[in-house]
Amino acid sequence: MLKDMEAVNRKILERRKAGRALPPYRAALIPEVTEILANYFKVQRPGATVSGVRRVGGGASKEQFFFTLSEHGQDEPFLLRMDPRSAITETDREREFVLIQAMQGIVPVPEPVWVDNDAQYFPQPAAIMRVVNGVTKPSDSGVKVSGLGTWLGPDLRAKLRDQFVDYLVKIHAYDFRARPLPGYEVPDADPKQAARWSYNYWLEMWKIDEGTDRPVMSLATQWLADNMPDTAELAMTHGDYRTGNYLFEEDSGQITALLDWELARIGDFHEDLAWVLMQVFGTVDTDGTRRASDLFERDEFIAEYERRSGRTVNHQTLHYYDVMSSWKCNVIVAANGLAAARSQHNHQDVLLTFLGATSPMFADDLVRLLSMGDVQ
Amino acid sequence: MTPTVDERLASIVRALTEVILPHLPPEASLAQEQVQLAIGHLQILRAQLDDVPAFEREELADAVAIAKSLIAEIDGGTQTRAALTALASAASADGSDVRVQTGIINRAVDALVKAVAADGVEGAMASLSRIILAHEQARVMKDRQWFLPFGFDTIMDAA
Repeated sequence: MLKDMEAVNRKILERRKAGRALPPYRAALIPEVTEILANYFKVQRPGATVSGVRRVGGGASKEQFFFTLSEHGQDEPFLLRMDPRSAITETDREREFVLIQAMQGIVPVPEPVWVDNDAQYFPQPAAIMRVVNGVTKPSDSGVKVSGLGTWLGPDLRAKLRDQFVDYLVKIHAYDFRARPLPGYEVPDADPKQAARWSYNYWLEMWKIDEGTDRPVMSLATQWLADNMPDTAELAMTHGDYRTGNYLFEEDSGQITALLDWELARIGDFHEDLAWVLMQVFGTVDTDGTRRASDLFERDEFIAEYERRSGRTVNHQTLHYYDVMSSWKCNVIVAANGLAAARSQHNHQDVLLTFLGATSPMFADDLVRLLSMGDVQ
Repeated sequence: MTPTVDERLASIVRALTEVILPHLPPEASLAQEQVQLAIGHLQILRAQLDDVPAFEREELADAVAIAKSLIAEIDGGTQTRAALTALASAASADGSDVRVQTGIINRAVDALVKAVAADGVEGAMASLSRIILAHEQARVMKDRQWFLPFGFDTIMDAA
């Protein structure tokens, strides 16, 4: 295994590899979750009662449940996020918990309250957060899994776009040296370490989950190894910043919470920009206009990011991370998701095989990007 | 007469759609989602079933074509030559197990990419890149077309 990566990611890879032989995972039933929560709160909040446990629909990664915790005549709504045995992204609940705590007051995030990262009380690692109101897509946007290509429309677009870019700028401005985050390492041994950590982690994921080779993936893997950019300025990155991963009030267009922080790390801000700009997460108008997350055209987003952050986007570095984003997505859907389904380690195998159908879109994006030659 | 595969799949879709789905309580959100996805999967399988052998044969033919192009143009040191030999062997199999042979060729191409990076002659990586991208450009469009019924491909929808 490639060793140069964050310790937490090495641990995740080892867990993923060791877990392959484990027996099938079954979706948790409501009475089971209710009992687990009741036992948990006997310890955490003696006297409190758990009720109204119900599953949260959508999403491709975690098992999620709303529930109510009642104590002294007060009812409080919470969200339980619990890992299945294997998921389409293998991550660490504690790490996500720590970062969301740190982001309180900086950007809108849910308030994390409890975490059981070692599955001491829950059957799998779990975290509990306060419920935030909002939707991830307009109610009239049609049924789509995982927010791919969510259509917002002109009215919501106008309300959301400034917030979207401003919050990304604020995340990138987080001072991780003044306020270090437990478990987050800084890739500053050499200028290429930020890119290398990301590459090493996802390449090992691809190998462990036995992604099916196709020539353009092989070419991209080599290209990414040969063209790692120097990182001019390290920043806190979100890792999965896009429409579908934030909650907003449908009437006001106010973003109420940024979600899905599990892929966050200290790295190159271009990695986040490239993820935002991935065509697959965007929309295309009938006139051919493409919008990242249905909010910005590519050049417009880059210009707005530069204007608001004071940073200069390096187009060569951005191109590297454009390639890495599509390559990484292909690892996620064509290796991680399918391996979890093959092992019967997930609560929604049928969704994971369904999402596998997006693999050719990422492969096509790799063809397009690698055909561009040198980008300056 | 025995029931055809299509008749069997159609009956499963109907049972899921008209018998099982309406009886799931509103709070069983995961079960509802899973049944809807299962129905979608089965409908796509019904539509594609007869075309699967031809699709997979074409996949193999495309893999063989890329292998031949690479063998014709790429050269290098010991590692590259060994990888080319393995690729030639994979491409010349009799095609009796279509899926397995396609997989073996793709793995051999993967090994060749690594080998060329290690000891390919000058310009070999550029040639390899050009050949792979030219072949894959056509191949990925076939794959995207194949998976269009899944409804993710907004870009192709708009094209």
